[in-house]
Amino acid sequence: MPAPSLAALTGFDQKLIVGVADMAVSNNPSVVLATYSLGSCLGITIYDPVTKVGGLLHAMLPDSSIDPAKAATQAAMFVDTGIPALFRAAYQLKADKHRVQICVLGGAQVMDASGFFSIGKRNLETLKRLLSQHGLSIRAEQTGGMVSRTVTLSVRTGEVKLKVSGVKEETIIWKK
Amino acid sequence: MEEIDEYIRKAKTLPPAPKILPQLMPLLKQTDVDSAKVVELISFDAGLTAKILTVCNSASQAGGQPVSNLHEALLRTGFAEVFRIVAKVVGEQTLGSAQTGYGLGKNELWEHSAVVAVAARIVATDRGLDPNVAFTAGLLHDVGKLVLTEALEGSYERLVEETEKNQQALVEAEKTVLGVDHAEVGGRLLSQWAFPKPLVDAVSWHHDPIKSTENAPLAACIYLANMIAAFTGHSFGHQAFAIRGRGEALQILGLQGDELPMYMIKTVDEFAKVSLLAAAA
Repeated sequence: MPAPSLAALTGFDQKLIVGVADMAVSNNPSVVLATYSLGSCLGITIYDPVTKVGGLLHAMLPDSSIDPAKAATQAAMFVDTGIPALFRAAYQLKADKHRVQICVLGGAQVMDASGFFSIGKRNLETLKRLLSQHGLSIRAEQTGGMVSRTVTLSVRTGEVKLKVSGVKEETIIWKK
Repeated sequence: MEEIDEYIRKAKTLPPAPKILPQLMPLLKQTDVDSAKVVELISFDAGLTAKILTVCNSASQAGGQPVSNLHEALLRTGFAEVFRIVAKVVGEQTLGSAQTGYGLGKNELWEHSAVVAVAARIVATDRGLDPNVAFTAGLLHDVGKLVLTEALEGSYERLVEETEKNQQALVEAEKTVLGVDHAEVGGRLLSQWAFPKPLVDAVSWHHDPIKSTENAPLAACIYLANMIAAFTGHSFGHQAFAIRGRGEALQILGLQGDELPMYMIKTVDEFAKVSLLAAAA
């Protein structure tokens, strides 16, 4: 028999931190997926409320064509390779494509008239194009602006929370 | 200038001057570094010496015998690497505390600065600028925030208003609210601490590099590195993205703009290695 997890022993949820250009999926109800400091990067959460499977992707750049070798080893770096990788990982845990609730955070944008620094905007455009190609819609979205965001997804409840850097309070952005 | 000095004078807490860095920097230019001189400068600080040895040893675990003194560390890793370790240790001491006026938690300014340093070295190396000066300038580019954080306490709403309603960058909002900004204050502080002029200029103009008359390329390098830190998730605090996009910074460096994603990927990879080192120390 496996040893009981720390969460089971203490009753506390365990936070699983997803770094930049990384992703994670889980069906363990005591796991809270979290990613810090989403600036122009996108944080995408998916959650299947029936099988209670959650996933979180922290993608940095829109398009993998600039570095296919990188995309092959670290799909989560790019929106266009990270999204399919996130869904595939969630399917392994019996998530259903059309049941998952999708939330999107991040995509902050600097004050840029030149267009050279519009990474946040391009990340969002790529994501929305990709989701609509697959007939998927976004349940809740907190994107753009000039702030850095932290997001958490509770695998137990599917609740998605947002914290803005420099602001104390958390807000709930999605709850079934 | 008087107003800037007044802020520096009034600041309740200033970090101790990282005296060792400006003393070591001229040696970086020498092809044949006098290691006795380096050892003399560094060994004044026992804590620093111990950290250098720890980092050298954790980095060279695969490489046989551990180093036991500074001479060996210099021989094994070279002066440029020892300098970077010194800069990191000093940077962490200088920038590690929370800067609540900016909404920055403990270690957030330090993490941001370390990423800017790494990105600046990558850009500098690619564009034929001095990577060591770029690295050090990147590390210290926000040092002016340590001076202004106290004055900004309680000004959060005004800052947000200036950035959101009046479309000002954070650095411009500082100027509106306080009369000075963190870039010019930082440059002044580093000049008082006897850092070389190119580094002082780069820090002073890291939000508006074209205004630097003598060191625009280095200032543009720090500007771009600051952007890269933001785009790779290492910028924190109030209105972290209230930065003005300046296409001319790319022109100064002879870039088209499509190099940016590759610089970002390199920075993420390089910073992962650096962080592992820090964790091992």
